[in-house]
Amino acid sequence: MVNKLEIDGLTHTFGGQNNVHVLDDLSLSVAEGEFVTLLGPSGSGKSTIFNLIGGLFKPDQGDIFIEGERVNGQRGHISYLPQQDSLLPWRTIEDNVVLVQEITGKVDKAAAREWLERAGLGGYGASYPDVLSGGMRQRVAFIRSLLSPQELMLLDEPFGALDELTRLDMQDWLLKIWEMDRRSVLFITHSIEEALYMSDRILILSDKPARIVREIEVPFARPRHHDITLDNTFNQLKREIYQMLKVGNQND
Amino acid sequence: MRRLSSWRLGPPIMAILLILVIWQICVSLFDMPAWMLPSPVQIIQEGIAIYPRLLGHTLSTIQIALGGFAIGVSVGILLAVALHLVPQVRQSVYPLMVLSQNIPIIALAPLLVLWFGFGDLPKILIITLVCFFPVAVSLIDGFRQTSPTLKNYMQMIGASRRQIFFKLEWPSALPYFFSGLKISATYSVMGAVIAEWLGAQEGLGVFMTLASSAFRTDQVFVAIFVIMAISLILFGFILLLEKWLVPWDTDQKEAHKDGE
Ligand SMILES: Nc1ncnc2c1ncn2[C@@H]1O[C@H](COP(=O)(O)OP(=O)(O)OP(=O)(O)O)[C@@H](O)[C@H]1O
Ligand SMILES: [Mg+2]
Repeated sequence: MVNKLEIDGLTHTFGGQNNVHVLDDLSLSVAEGEFVTLLGPSGSGKSTIFNLIGGLFKPDQGDIFIEGERVNGQRGHISYLPQQDSLLPWRTIEDNVVLVQEITGKVDKAAAREWLERAGLGGYGASYPDVLSGGMRQRVAFIRSLLSPQELMLLDEPFGALDELTRLDMQDWLLKIWEMDRRSVLFITHSIEEALYMSDRILILSDKPARIVREIEVPFARPRHHDITLDNTFNQLKREIYQMLKVGNQND
Repeated sequence: MRRLSSWRLGPPIMAILLILVIWQICVSLFDMPAWMLPSPVQIIQEGIAIYPRLLGHTLSTIQIALGGFAIGVSVGILLAVALHLVPQVRQSVYPLMVLSQNIPIIALAPLLVLWFGFGDLPKILIITLVCFFPVAVSLIDGFRQTSPTLKNYMQMIGASRRQIFFKLEWPSALPYFFSGLKISATYSVMGAVIAEWLGAQEGLGVFMTLASSAFRTDQVFVAIFVIMAISLILFGFILLLEKWLVPWDTDQKEAHKDGE
């Protein structure tokens, strides 16, 4: 079967006076229904990979295939949750959730309401984003990407700005919602635990220029529960990844 | 009710009343002659006396002020959108826009009358000239302040240029637009009076010229009060419109105020 996402030999340098070589011959793939995480140090080029997949600009070299079709520099093929807060302040929660549908053509307000209900945000449809907490806003943003018709989801550190407790909550919440209709996900984080808890597979990136240093299959069955963070294998893997990231940084 | 309490009409009304009272006391204390400075009571009495004659002038002024305001605002919006969507044009036209504000109205008005006669057209042109600028400048700034993060996001999800404009740039510039609109509104009434002053048959400007050359200072003040009232009403109307069209921004401001 053809992969949902296939990246082949991606290389990119940002021009300007201080040429930043961000990506170097990077290849990866995401299978249908798979949850893959990119784990790497800050500034290693993770968001750049997303921007390239989303077609914001073209890579210097390499190809991006979505469902077998080459999409270099083409927009609108992905569902996306950006790193920064991205709800439009002048839209109510419900109108924010259907934004992507407006862009792609078919608005389904009933589905929007149903998902908000399921996400525990039923009472907030008519509110503006500024009355919601950071965690709630990210839930709304996630529902919004879930409701967009593209099947590949790119989630860029959705919980990066949240406090630790909210973060743990949100991980469970996102997994629960994701289980309801397993989409293919490419997820970015720099929390090792989060990567282990959430993903089927983890790709560890080096500092820039980013290459994939190692790939780790996460062996835990789904649906998952936070108990696994106490498991020996979990902690073993955590230590391994930690060492790898440390070594990667020392080579700098 | 946040909406009502936030109007806070009380303090400004108290301030105005206080000024009027002090004014009244000073006039009687120093025994001012009415042609130098009439007292508020005299002004109000005069206003009631000349009300029928004043009404025609007032309506005429309101009419051209609103006409010029509407045209000026439309021109401002069109210019801002054009300059925003075609950045190459912006560099050449923006300086011209600024220059247009340096034309002395006093010199321009007689010329316009010469070219277009004593009808409404020259007056409306003058008001348009002063009204389009605040709207255009604030809108252009608003467009440029659009959050780059949100713009990136819109592009990533595949929004077209048109969708980005209508779903992102326009709404995010709306609060700026209203700032410009409020300035233009006050300019429009002033612009109307000045335009009438410099050549017209009717209007508060004409009324004021006549009153002042007849040393009817009380009538001059009546006209000033009427002009202030028109400006205030127009301004209030725009505030209401803003509350209605920009609920996210105004609500937030109120929330901050309530927190104080
Ligand atoms: N448009 C751009 N122009 C120039 N340099 C850029 C641009 N975007 C990113 N960079 C640079 O590329 C590098 C990688 O940035 P990127 O945002 O991809 O990192 P990241 O891994 O997502 O970091 P973080 O974990 O902090 O979000 C950084 O050094 C950044 O300064
Ligand atoms: Mg990033």
